[in-house]
Amino acid sequence: MTSRPLPRSVVGLALLLPALIFLVVFLVLPSVILLSYGVLTQSQGGDISLPLTMGSYERLVVSETYRRVVLLTLRVALVTSLFTALLAYPAAMVIAYGKPIFSRITMILVVAPLVVSVIVRTYGWQLMLNNSPTGVLNWMLHALGTGPTPVRVLYTEWATVIASVHVFLPLMVLPLSASLGRINPSLNEAARILGAPAWRAFLRVTLPLSLPGLVAGVTIVFSLTAGSYVTPQMLGGTRGLMLGVLLEQQINTSFDWPMAAAIAGVMVVIALAANVGVGWLAERHALVRAQRSGAR
Amino acid sequence: MVATAQASDLAFSGLTKLFGTTRAVDGVTLRIAAGEMVALLGPSGCGKTTTLRMIAGLIEPTEGDVLIGGMRITRTPVHRRNIGMLFQNYALFPHLSVAENVAFGLQMRGMRKALIKPKVAQALSLVQLGALADRLPSALSGGQQQRVALARAIVIEPTLLLLDEPLGALDRNLRDSMQVEIRQIQQRLGITAVMVTHDQEEALTMADRVVIMRDGKLEQVGTPEEIYSRPTSRFVASFIGTCNFLRGDVIGQEAGRPQVRLAAGGQIALPSPANDQKEVLVSVRPEAISLSAEERGTPATILQIVYRGQATHVHMALDDGTPFLAFLPNRDGKPVRSAFSTGDRIWASWSPDSNWAVSEA
Ligand SMILES: Nc1ncnc2c1ncn2[C@@H]1O[C@H](COP(=O)(O)OP(=O)(O)OP(=O)(O)O)[C@@H](O)[C@H]1O
Ligand SMILES: [Mg+2]
Repeated sequence: MTSRPLPRSVVGLALLLPALIFLVVFLVLPSVILLSYGVLTQSQGGDISLPLTMGSYERLVVSETYRRVVLLTLRVALVTSLFTALLAYPAAMVIAYGKPIFSRITMILVVAPLVVSVIVRTYGWQLMLNNSPTGVLNWMLHALGTGPTPVRVLYTEWATVIASVHVFLPLMVLPLSASLGRINPSLNEAARILGAPAWRAFLRVTLPLSLPGLVAGVTIVFSLTAGSYVTPQMLGGTRGLMLGVLLEQQINTSFDWPMAAAIAGVMVVIALAANVGVGWLAERHALVRAQRSGAR
Repeated sequence: MVATAQASDLAFSGLTKLFGTTRAVDGVTLRIAAGEMVALLGPSGCGKTTTLRMIAGLIEPTEGDVLIGGMRITRTPVHRRNIGMLFQNYALFPHLSVAENVAFGLQMRGMRKALIKPKVAQALSLVQLGALADRLPSALSGGQQQRVALARAIVIEPTLLLLDEPLGALDRNLRDSMQVEIRQIQQRLGITAVMVTHDQEEALTMADRVVIMRDGKLEQVGTPEEIYSRPTSRFVASFIGTCNFLRGDVIGQEAGRPQVRLAAGGQIALPSPANDQKEVLVSVRPEAISLSAEERGTPATILQIVYRGQATHVHMALDDGTPFLAFLPNRDGKPVRSAFSTGDRIWASWSPDSNWAVSEA
């Protein structure tokens, strides 16, 4: 008797099953439970049960304080993405087009922050950005002769932005340099020969063709910054309070689990929106271009 | 009609480029007349592309100068040289439509939209692509893409057109028709043009003059006819077409023509006085040779007979072992193959005008 080979789909499913079970048990299920807390009620005793309520979400939106934290989180994520992108382009271009030796060195420098533990790195930034005249930044500014008053960066959102740009830079540079490397180098030469100075060739040719890498980078950096906890916790202070820190406070200080779950819900939505939104923006841009060239 | 601003001549003097210690281009001096098309031809790595890129301004020469219309442009940045260029891989902007690709150079020159539109339409109709203006380059065939690139290059009314193996990626038939098309447009617009190719037929078909390069230096410069029938060196003669080389000694003059006794036996005359050297290397093109069973000319033995459509190639060995090749045209269905067969002893003869002394190297 000859045994017939199993259909490919069955084999595929069988191979997929272990990972699928793992994800359902340890990701999907906990997520559903956590998010459901957000619409349940917590009793005086701390038990979480029915009735269903949108109270926690409502407070997040209506309360001035909470709303400020949501907006600040979005702002920090946006500003971080922006600065990261600006810094990433030159580095990615060196990696993609530079001589092999410079390309390697730049790559190593850019990736370096990733190999240092987040705690160590953040303590480092505390020393660098310290608000007293002995902080490295203030000491350097003073040495350069920029006035007597020390700048106050630590425990503001700017400290979070600076540290986030530092650590997330490689996550922007890598997709960007990959994207740049895929652009045919004669395109830039063609633009130059046709009369474009270097900067116009960059804006008209290199930039639009590297958009896929930029989209990937911005998506990652935006979601990770918006969802970060350690950095704003150690560097942001109360003035730079972000959603991640607020969530921790709800659980450890206020013992308000439904509120914490609602915050988690908002953070998930932000991350999803960033993923879908940035891609959609880029696609629409391409579509508008295509239509415009169609209409001419 | 798209017109050139003013055809200008192009000159290089002592143009040299070193990559590390490699002399990619080594002291090239050449003048190209306004409206002339010159082909740089040579084996791989001889410095053709490097020369072209120095003219374009994409590579800075180590030494020497480039002059357009008598003006030194060696230090002029690429984007101010007003040059049109065709690349082997077309280099069309994939995110721009055909019309936008062609408009690019005009936009960079700050031309108004209202003026750009008709110019783009004109350029596209010149290359017969008016109907495809709204397509993206990815929706075009290779030949169409190179025609768009041609329109994009000429619409800016360049003082110079550079072509780096423009047809290298196309198949044989398309390449033949594109050669004619590009040449016609170049002549009609009177643009000075420099083309790089390693396809000798392409060089002979398209160029007013052919420049043979070797190891970064100019080996010979001349019209296609000069290069083909009066090569200066063995290198040129064997690079352009196929050639037989015969060694011999000059034994005297007869009616102003040096007489050469061939090492392989037999005696031939050179068409023009050779410089007084005694030993000479004589080149003879295979198509100049006729074969006969009668004892007349130089004796040879047939090694192989190959039918090649328009001609039959007869591979022979002379008596001293020198390989010898004749192309016999296949006319009126007269099968050359049946007249001779492998192993036959035959006699090769040709007109003294087909002999040409070349230098050894
Ligand atoms: N960027 C570079 N760095 C180092 N060497 C180079 C560089 N570009 C070219 N060369 C060298 O210079 C010489 C000439 O190169 P070039 O590209 O001009 O040759 P080519 O005649 O165009 O050859 P091909 O027919 O293969 O295109 C070669 O030996 C090549 O290896
Ligand atoms: Mg080349």
